[in-house]
Amino acid sequence: MTAKETTELQMPQRSKPRGGRPTNAAAALAMVPHRERVRAIDAERQSLATIFGILQARKTSTRQEIEELSGLSRAVVADRLATLLRFGLVDEEALGRPTGGRAPRLVQVKAAAGLVLVAVINESLLGVGVADLSGNLLVEHHEPIESNGGLNGMVSRLETLFDWLLEQQQGRRRVWGVGIAVPGPVEIAAGQRFGVAGFHFAPNREDMPLVERLAHRYQAPVAVRNAVQMRTLGELRAGSGVGADNLVFVELGREIVAGLISGGRLHRSAQGTAGMIGHTATGEEGARTCRCGNVGCLEAVAGVEAIVDDATHAAKEGRSRPLADVLASEGEVTVSDVGVAAQRGDAFSAELLSRCGRNVGTVLAGLVNAFNPSLIVLGGEIAATGEVVLAAIREAVYRRSHPLATRDLTIVRSQMGSSAELVGSAFTVIDDLFAPDFLYGWIAQGSPRKHPEVAELIARAEAKERHRHSKAPQPPAIGGPVDESAA
Amino acid sequence: MKAAGSNAISGLGPHGEKATPPERLSLSESEAAEAHRRRFEIAVVLHTTSSDWAKQQLAGIVTTLGRYSAAVVEVVDCNFDVVRQTREIERLTRYRPAAIVSIPIGNAEAADVHRGVSQAGIKLVLIDNVPTGLLPSKDYVSVVSADNFGLGQMAANLLSPHVPRGGVVGIIAYGVDFFVTNERDIAFRKWMAAERPDVAIKRDRFSTVEDAARATDALLRANPTMNGLFAVWDDPAMRAVKVMRERSRQIPITTIDLGNDAAIELARGEMIKGIGAQQPYDQGVAAAKVTIMSLLDRHTPPWVVLPGLKVTATNVVEAYQVVWHSPAPPELMKSRRNGERQG
Repeated sequence: MTAKETTELQMPQRSKPRGGRPTNAAAALAMVPHRERVRAIDAERQSLATIFGILQARKTSTRQEIEELSGLSRAVVADRLATLLRFGLVDEEALGRPTGGRAPRLVQVKAAAGLVLVAVINESLLGVGVADLSGNLLVEHHEPIESNGGLNGMVSRLETLFDWLLEQQQGRRRVWGVGIAVPGPVEIAAGQRFGVAGFHFAPNREDMPLVERLAHRYQAPVAVRNAVQMRTLGELRAGSGVGADNLVFVELGREIVAGLISGGRLHRSAQGTAGMIGHTATGEEGARTCRCGNVGCLEAVAGVEAIVDDATHAAKEGRSRPLADVLASEGEVTVSDVGVAAQRGDAFSAELLSRCGRNVGTVLAGLVNAFNPSLIVLGGEIAATGEVVLAAIREAVYRRSHPLATRDLTIVRSQMGSSAELVGSAFTVIDDLFAPDFLYGWIAQGSPRKHPEVAELIARAEAKERHRHSKAPQPPAIGGPVDESAA
Repeated sequence: MKAAGSNAISGLGPHGEKATPPERLSLSESEAAEAHRRRFEIAVVLHTTSSDWAKQQLAGIVTTLGRYSAAVVEVVDCNFDVVRQTREIERLTRYRPAAIVSIPIGNAEAADVHRGVSQAGIKLVLIDNVPTGLLPSKDYVSVVSADNFGLGQMAANLLSPHVPRGGVVGIIAYGVDFFVTNERDIAFRKWMAAERPDVAIKRDRFSTVEDAARATDALLRANPTMNGLFAVWDDPAMRAVKVMRERSRQIPITTIDLGNDAAIELARGEMIKGIGAQQPYDQGVAAAKVTIMSLLDRHTPPWVVLPGLKVTATNVVEAYQVVWHSPAPPELMKSRRNGERQG
């Protein structure tokens, strides 16, 4: 243990009662030699982390339960709870069920003690939100991305919206972390926490170090993760997947991508590319070449672009009256239009969505055989069209999978939309903040912003931002922070 | 940027959903026949029944449901009280109508009781507001809303010509966490930042309509050179007008909702320079159609949105007729004539 760490460890000793009188523990510590003092501080930090970990896992506990679960004495529990209460990390306001006498007070983590800023970014949409420490979204907002602002404009817009959220919550000083869901694979090293240092939003974009820029602005750790993985995590923790240990989420949009939950944990994979089922060969030799250069990929025959192309041709060639009407009045046909037409009995649209569903289901059957999930959640524009496509997917999955693999399999449509990525991003940050080894590093300081790793990240981010600004002046942002001086 | 006043929908839904216009809601003859046969019973829960907006909304709902032989068994006026709304919805849930159409008052505090409606097997159709955390298909059928993001942009677009270069614009925002007003606030700022980056934005918030006067006063004191003001709906806008008059100030204002007083102020050519108007009757019609579709187990779009109407002194009388489905009152006609004479 270095001298610096020792100094930091002594920080909780500043947490005297407001009257200035030292706590019993602090007074006692001042009387003992240095090495023993360090050991005592270490023990105090360990017990704080243990108690806070118990509260985080159990949601609510009585003091007696904490004593039993932690194996700590009543006096130690009382002292550590006093510290946690003073930090504002827990409260003791709720009452439990009485067992003969007075109702016991329940201790719980104060969800409002910290805030997590979250965002989802894809090619057409920017969604932002703010979550409490329970992972509940307090406010969220989604808007189309303006194409004329470029990458810098988009990140500036993200910052403007984050600033607005913090104004609404009056929470600028309570930001404990930032979680961002982005398209494409994000490579995470084993045991990697929070942001991938030096993550650049697009390849070769040295001028857009997203993690450092946000860490500098909000003075908090930043986690950047793949959007489909975040959405999968969101479905697991707050959507259709609550309680499922083995889950597959499938995004059926312009891209067709899967996220996997195995044994209750997100499967991140070696390079973060797991789940790219859109590039599975279907055996169909369509005219369309996939983004990957192959033909016959699932995405090329059943993705949004394939459906829109086929529907537009049908509308022009008079093979679907409802789609022709839409094309005439709106100038374009969307996947949603195909869904509405199918529901209203248009044979072409129904067959188009059925064919899409059969292709998706056949590929998913392979995944079901290999992975044996108990739940498949379907999301994205195509899944939102309704029952026709879902029925075709179900039929193909059940027909092409081994009967044992589908015995208890449920296939449902996602209800969370882009909120799932926001919730998943929030839980990614929260899980990292409360991971036992990380918690140990900050609990005695009262905030993860004071964790040495976070302090280092912020310092590095600040240095990088200074360097970036000195090299090239920023172009004007789309909407800077709003002066709220009058508020 | 989409043109304000066009029929394009600017905003995304509470979970990022793309908007479905009400024209896409339709029932086939056989579906209508089934609805007639099943004679559904539906309850309506409104934040108030006394405002013009609520009356029109209710008229649209009741008329359309009647056309499908569905009975409106009860209309609850919650008087802006979330506690009362909670109590009333709990009572209605026990009564078990086939569906409830509701405007949630507030965010987190309104979530649980609305979640309970679907859990009891009753279809829930929301108007305008979705408490954060509620999910379509699971907790509610659809939300039917005005394009509040588009309305906020419209208000900025209408105010911009009245604000000099380098001017200062105030926003009187709602201090309560409410999806609708949040969207208007964000959209107004976004439009200004993109189209008028020279303008400085200042903001104050009010928690009740009565508090809007204090918020206006605080903004004026802190920003004596303020050149324009946006109020997130018409009632606080008219409170702001009153404060300005008391202080002998003449500041251009834009707002949302074509209330009587705001329409008259606009027609007179006084401080209110433009209004983004909702179409409450048509919104009620759409809400009723979605309700019937869901009761027939038709897949319903999660986010049904009606575009706003851009209203200026020039078209205020015609817009009044479109929005309120009635002729403009004599006072509005008189104001327009006076406004024209002065203009």
